[in-house]
Amino acid sequence: MNQFKITFKQPASNRVLIADDDPVITHLLTTMLKQERCEPVVANDGREAYRILQSDSRFRAAILDLSMPFLGGLDLIHYMRSERRLMRIPIMMITAEENIKLIADSLSAGATAFLPKPFTPEQLESAVRLLIASSPTRKGH
Amino acid sequence: MVPEPVIRLSESSGHQLLGSMALDVLDFDVLKAFETVKSDDGQDIVIELIDLYLDSTPRRIEEIRNATADEASCVIKRLAHTLKGSSSTLGLRGVANACQQLEDLNSTSDPIANTLLEILESRFAEAQKALISERRRRTG
Repeated sequence: MNQFKITFKQPASNRVLIADDDPVITHLLTTMLKQERCEPVVANDGREAYRILQSDSRFRAAILDLSMPFLGGLDLIHYMRSERRLMRIPIMMITAEENIKLIADSLSAGATAFLPKPFTPEQLESAVRLLIASSPTRKGH
Repeated sequence: MVPEPVIRLSESSGHQLLGSMALDVLDFDVLKAFETVKSDDGQDIVIELIDLYLDSTPRRIEEIRNATADEASCVIKRLAHTLKGSSSTLGLRGVANACQQLEDLNSTSDPIANTLLEILESRFAEAQKALISERRRRTG
């Protein structure tokens, strides 16, 4: 009798990590992500995001503010890109930073996309959709 | 009595500010654009954003004031940078510009630091009036 091995694709997680210390921006991102059928997980600063990422890698994407207390977005990118379980998660940086070097540093450290503040709702929506679309499909074993 | 910011409805965008000074306080078109973002509980997201901004900003300015007293330059820059981000996103140009000036400071021992802080407080007071007025208009 033939043996069949059935494999299932693990459903892609719709969870998106948001790390930002500004409640206005966090609320905007949360609302936009829900509108895109994603489940936002909010960290109010870089240290909180780091703690979440230490034990949880089931994220479809991450949206990080560059400038946060305790631990900045750039530090988080370095951490995520050095951890095998986190390295494939697409990262979008958001910041009001106008320093080109900092922007270049985050991209070369492994950021997938960059959204400068101020942004319009349309720009935010496009950026979120692109980010989610760039997430690799998670396959089961 | 402090006069309300001068705002009236226009035919095109729904709002028109009278004079460039009012536009420097709040660009209503920027704020209004967020109406396209749909809140899952059906609430007006513009009102939610106004409430969050009005709730969080006084605390942020207080932190900047404390950091100025402590001459903690890095903290001032980070706090001003964060406040600049949400202010410019909501169209609050006056506050955003004041934050940019604080962010550009080379040293907090510079006597201009306190002057810039006063300017920020004054810009926020104007923004607060404009946002409260807009909130009142939206809630009827």
